[in-house]
Amino acid sequence: MNSDFHYYATYCAAQLAGYSHEDSQSIAYSAQMVDFCTRTLLSTLKAPLSAATTQLQLELMDARTDIAGLQDITRIWASFHFLPYDLNALPPKRCCKRYRDKYRLICKPNGELLSATVSLAKDKSLQAVGVAMHVLADTWAHQNFAGTPSLVINNTNSWFYELLEDGNGFTERKLNFRHSASSPDDLEHSLYTSSLYSNSENSIMNLGHGRAGHLPDYSFIRYEYLPAWGQYEVIVKDNPSDYLHAFAQMVYAMRWLRGETDDFALDAYAWDAVEPYRDEIERIIKTRQLDASADWKALGERLSGQTIESFRLEKYQEEYLNAVEEEKDDTFLGRLFIAALAQKSMVTGRIYQSGSKLAGYSVDYRQKGFKGIRDFKRLIRSSRGGKRQ
Amino acid sequence: MSRFQRVKSFTAGILMILFALLMLLAPEEFYDTLAAIISFMMIIYGLRLLIYYFRMARHMVGGKSTLYQAIVVLDAALFTLAVASMNSFIIMMYLLGIYAFSGAVDILRAFEAKRNGASWKMKFLTGCISVLFAVMLVITGVVLKKTEILVYGFGISLIYSATVRIASAFRRTAIVYIQ
Repeated sequence: MNSDFHYYATYCAAQLAGYSHEDSQSIAYSAQMVDFCTRTLLSTLKAPLSAATTQLQLELMDARTDIAGLQDITRIWASFHFLPYDLNALPPKRCCKRYRDKYRLICKPNGELLSATVSLAKDKSLQAVGVAMHVLADTWAHQNFAGTPSLVINNTNSWFYELLEDGNGFTERKLNFRHSASSPDDLEHSLYTSSLYSNSENSIMNLGHGRAGHLPDYSFIRYEYLPAWGQYEVIVKDNPSDYLHAFAQMVYAMRWLRGETDDFALDAYAWDAVEPYRDEIERIIKTRQLDASADWKALGERLSGQTIESFRLEKYQEEYLNAVEEEKDDTFLGRLFIAALAQKSMVTGRIYQSGSKLAGYSVDYRQKGFKGIRDFKRLIRSSRGGKRQ
Repeated sequence: MSRFQRVKSFTAGILMILFALLMLLAPEEFYDTLAAIISFMMIIYGLRLLIYYFRMARHMVGGKSTLYQAIVVLDAALFTLAVASMNSFIIMMYLLGIYAFSGAVDILRAFEAKRNGASWKMKFLTGCISVLFAVMLVITGVVLKKTEILVYGFGISLIYSATVRIASAFRRTAIVYIQ
């Protein structure tokens, strides 16, 4: 998903969930920041590097693919962009543990970890809500790929067809890929950019949906393809339907986070809130365009009657830089970093408890006290305070 | 990393440094050894591909291509082991790939860090050194036909990898889990 959905659509969803204009902007800003919070940015802010929620292309190219490097990559991408669906899943055929561990990181919506992610944001900051909404939305867009470098899971071949509505159903059109990162996708000629084929299992070329290019990030497209793990079964990816579900689920989740409903259930959606705007939302989602920001922004401004600020990366940086050390965690970005550390800690902990070390080692603080990366002391401090951030 | 992985990483790092130092002290004697090492590395790579196919890639759509690659690599490795004169070219390509690629990535990373306001000079410097080394390899290895430089190049890259291995053996990697 791109900024159109993570920023503007999240704002719209927050509005429909009942948040004020200001709170909706904070949630949308935080959701969008998940795609910008790199180590490069954190080092500029002298912030905890473990709060990184994404990696720049060159950071990835520079990353080591030894055990520790791979675990670091997996922690970031599995925690924030490819939330695993079922950590106890069994592949259809008998296989080795290494394959099974990777298979279990495949992302899909409505997994148990999604419930844990949304619950983690309950009674926490608006930034935590934003982070959770990013993760939730990505479980729909990025499904069927895993947040760890893996050829056997994330590879795709050239068998890709777009499904175009023709009145009576769908016609197929072949999709083609090129590997020039600087070239924009060409919708007219169905020419998309994807990562290079690499036969190395742990190459960063095989991370997430890199091999399928940005197809999962476009709301309008329907396509069919053969995922590497799928035993030659064709998967039809219906992004318009998935994006609509993601939107309705975000509204549902945020209603629960606001305390409007008693329980958070999986596979539940706030269709009642979406219904009055469904035609407009479906129109935005189905329009063939690389960036739907203007359409979502117009809808958001209609919902709130307020002007939505454009996303500015540097908006809260000065506040963080100028804050004294003890007060940094109470700034806007400080709260975002705490939310990121909490999400990473939770997902890594769950993956480790499932018997997989792909995301690294996790030390249970209640049982063993503090052991590990020092950045997480902030998280301990924050949870000890127990205050609403 | 587990304790065993840390010990393994540390020990391998120390052994690599010792071997690299021996190479740097007597490059003439080590040229043939280096050529053999590169061939054996290719054999090991071919065998690893084969194991990878049977453990992982056979489950994957189009996984058979891994099996074919393994066979081709093993064949090429055995061939280069037999034809010693081929080795200097392979070593050259190997080292050029390492230095030119890592240098280019470092320089691009430095520009990116500069754009984002982060520190960039050190990265830029290491990138330039790597690219310079790649150029030196081409001049001395291909133009002047001096093979000692290949041993020096390999030795230095070995020391670098060993240092990173040792450093990562001491790095804190565990994530704190708060329920």
